[in-house]
Amino acid sequence: MPNSAGKRFKPTKYIPVSTAATLLVGSTTLFFVFTCPWLMKVISPAVPLYNGLVFLFVLANFSMATFMDPGIYPRADEDEDKDDDFRAPLYKNVEIKGIQVRMKWCATCHFYRPPRCSHCSVCDNCVEDFDHHCPWVNNCIGRRNYRYFFLFLLSLSVHMVGVFSFGLIFVLHHREKLGGLHTTVTMVVMCIAGLFFIPVMGLTGFHMVLVARGRTTNEQVTGKFRGGVNPFTKGCCGNVEYVLCSPLAPRYVLDPRKRPHVKIQPPFIRPDLSDQQITIKVSDNGMHSTITNSKSKSSIDGLDGKETQPPLPPKADRYNQLKGQLTSSEESSLSGKTHPSTPAMYRFKPSFGTMPKVHYHTAGEKIVMPDGRKNSAILEEGVRSDYRSEPNLDLPEYANAPLHRTFQSSPHQLDADPTNSRTLSLKQGHHRPEKGQLQVLPPQTVASTAYKGVFSPNTLSNRNGSLSYDSLLNPSISPASANECMAHRGMPSMGFHSPYLPTKMCHIRESEIHRQQVAQTYSPVMPPRGLGRQSPHLRDREPSPVRYDNLSQTIMASIQERKEKEEREKRQMLHGRSQTHIYVQDSGVFDAGYGPPANASFLDGPRGHGSRGPTPPAYGGSRDNLMGVGLANYGQRTPVLRHAGTTLGRAPRTSSTSLHTDHSSSNSSQGRAPSHEGSYRSPTHKPRSPAMPRSPSYSHQKLSYISAHDRTDSPRLGGQRETMKVNGQMDCHLSPSRHGNVKKVTGVGGTTYEISV
Amino acid sequence: MAETHSLQDLQQPAVSSKVFVQRDYSSGTICKFQTKFPSELESRMDKQQFEETMQTLNNLYAEAEKLGGKSYLEGCLACLTAYTIFLCMETHYEKVLKKIAKYIKDQNEKIYAPRGLLLTDPIERGLRVVEITIFEDRNIGSGR
Repeated sequence: MPNSAGKRFKPTKYIPVSTAATLLVGSTTLFFVFTCPWLMKVISPAVPLYNGLVFLFVLANFSMATFMDPGIYPRADEDEDKDDDFRAPLYKNVEIKGIQVRMKWCATCHFYRPPRCSHCSVCDNCVEDFDHHCPWVNNCIGRRNYRYFFLFLLSLSVHMVGVFSFGLIFVLHHREKLGGLHTTVTMVVMCIAGLFFIPVMGLTGFHMVLVARGRTTNEQVTGKFRGGVNPFTKGCCGNVEYVLCSPLAPRYVLDPRKRPHVKIQPPFIRPDLSDQQITIKVSDNGMHSTITNSKSKSSIDGLDGKETQPPLPPKADRYNQLKGQLTSSEESSLSGKTHPSTPAMYRFKPSFGTMPKVHYHTAGEKIVMPDGRKNSAILEEGVRSDYRSEPNLDLPEYANAPLHRTFQSSPHQLDADPTNSRTLSLKQGHHRPEKGQLQVLPPQTVASTAYKGVFSPNTLSNRNGSLSYDSLLNPSISPASANECMAHRGMPSMGFHSPYLPTKMCHIRESEIHRQQVAQTYSPVMPPRGLGRQSPHLRDREPSPVRYDNLSQTIMASIQERKEKEEREKRQMLHGRSQTHIYVQDSGVFDAGYGPPANASFLDGPRGHGSRGPTPPAYGGSRDNLMGVGLANYGQRTPVLRHAGTTLGRAPRTSSTSLHTDHSSSNSSQGRAPSHEGSYRSPTHKPRSPAMPRSPSYSHQKLSYISAHDRTDSPRLGGQRETMKVNGQMDCHLSPSRHGNVKKVTGVGGTTYEISV
Repeated sequence: MAETHSLQDLQQPAVSSKVFVQRDYSSGTICKFQTKFPSELESRMDKQQFEETMQTLNNLYAEAEKLGGKSYLEGCLACLTAYTIFLCMETHYEKVLKKIAKYIKDQNEKIYAPRGLLLTDPIERGLRVVEITIFEDRNIGSGR
């Protein structure tokens, strides 16, 4: 068997098969020797012939069932599973004919078990269409040999019936010579046949029912489809036909055969780049992008990228790293896959220049930006489809896209905090209609125009670009706020959107914000953050888009205070961004706390720090509250979080702290349906009204949805929940209590959307 | 320098990354791969070409798993000969797998290798994923 490290020769496992074989062959031989001659003479020569044929059939099927490979999956290579190993969720959902089926991660084989596949502990292999492990043949029964096993049972039953009947005839005719050798032997054979008659017939009948219903023993015994619908059934006739007449499936565990050698030599042909596709290849400083495959894990590992990861890296150690990655992933997913693995990148590669190659992720089908809202929706769509059933590719895509976008459009901050720049770029890229639809952004204001100009590729590397933009709008705007302003304004993808923007800027932006709310919401980081941040700030100056109806005066006051404080801090932090990020990452605290203010929260946000809601719900706010808020906010941010959540969710597969658990849960819940969420959010945000009214419903929905999923997920490592990826849907793992907290906090914190009711 | 240059020519370019195209289980457990174009390949090849490749592969696998006259005959024959026929004859599925291997090799040579990509036959991974290896694009003539 493959990977039989440490496997010893265990004679005990051969006992049943030896017994079965001995009984079968021995009894039948005795029958032929002692009973058949008389039968041939008296009844007909056809009797032994018939029995002989049946016995041959039994033997053939017995041998096939015993020696045939049941459909063993070979272990996954290192490079295939390196991302999934400890970051991936334990379960992955896939939709089969409209029914959700769960695929479980196999820790031994390092892949997600395909539907109907199961891992046999006796053989230590994953087997396709696993039925059961049969001790009588000492082999697993799976896709390839189920037919032979079933035919073996059928033919054995027929054979036993035949042997018993003919033996009975013999004995009845030799009643007077019961003590004779022949008669005695025949009676012994009859006893054996009679003894095994009931079990064998019972098993045969059981399998006949299984075949008719299109189920495997494993599914029947574990009650998978009890009361439910079996997505694998083809109708009774179809099932029987499938079992008996389908072509013999191929072996997967093959001898290493020579691969046809294909010569690959650079330079390589590249496709023509259309206007939409602007490939910006970031020079990689030796960092081979594993972004494609690994969800920025490679980046964290210093990107040697490729397949040097140990199969099971110490999960605990990597949690922070993962988080970083997650954050970046989240961000990207939220912003329509523009998420750069900022946290991770930042952490391990503080310099921008070290960003790995990023493939431009053409909006293509994914991002169409007729307007902000649509973009979000479409982005979500794209995002969603990306990760649908694609565990490996989800994050990388996210990671790639965002990075790419970042480079593409981020006019500034390339030299600054990578995270920020990334975020910004994400947003920008996102909103920068790849199809040249800049008009997506509300073009009404000069700002937007300026914005566009600023974020043209020309300004890519120029942080000053933003400043110039700012100057266009409001010369008095400080650089920091200007940046933020710009970010907030046009770009939903703006990473951190300062809530402390000058009044004027905010004012101008407000309209845009509303418009872009959808898009913003799409980007995980942006929406809650931007709006959240903005709201309290704006409130000071003018009617905020966010409704603070339910906020108490004192709370609002404290929020304001805090915001101002953060703004100050933020300014300082702008340069010490890295620290912030690290802080965010390291702390693993999903403290939405404003921690290092917007930036920090922004970064954290994707990580599922919950919504970092721009304002901590309670200043004194306990972490729980914050988390609650975060969760609430998370709703908006779902896509990002989800993305991150996914990775975090993976943590469940590995040990994780309880803290992680919380976040992971929230993250996980976010699942991977950025698109889903985004779309969900879009309508919500459309109305400019604070998401509050909406978010509750949204949250509720998600909550219920999550709950449903949660309940079904029994294994929880460390209480973490696996990220359930429902096709295009997000499973929100918000706990009801948390949900309740979120409700209150969100509003207070100014989190725009997630305010739950 | 000349030797170095030629040596570089002979070397296989380094693997930049790998993309895994997963199975599409929406229609059940039949062997079908997702045809969605992975984002990592966007800068390397055309979407249509990729989708065409995947679609052809899916069609080939569908043909391999088809329950039709040929598979019936094969089953009956195998039964009658006590499955000894498998010692001499190739099953229908195996024949199609050979066809698939040939097709993949063909695609690699014609389309993927010139673009620095390499398709791996999914049978090597248990028909779970199609692995696409992306090679580093080093311009040899870039004055290195």
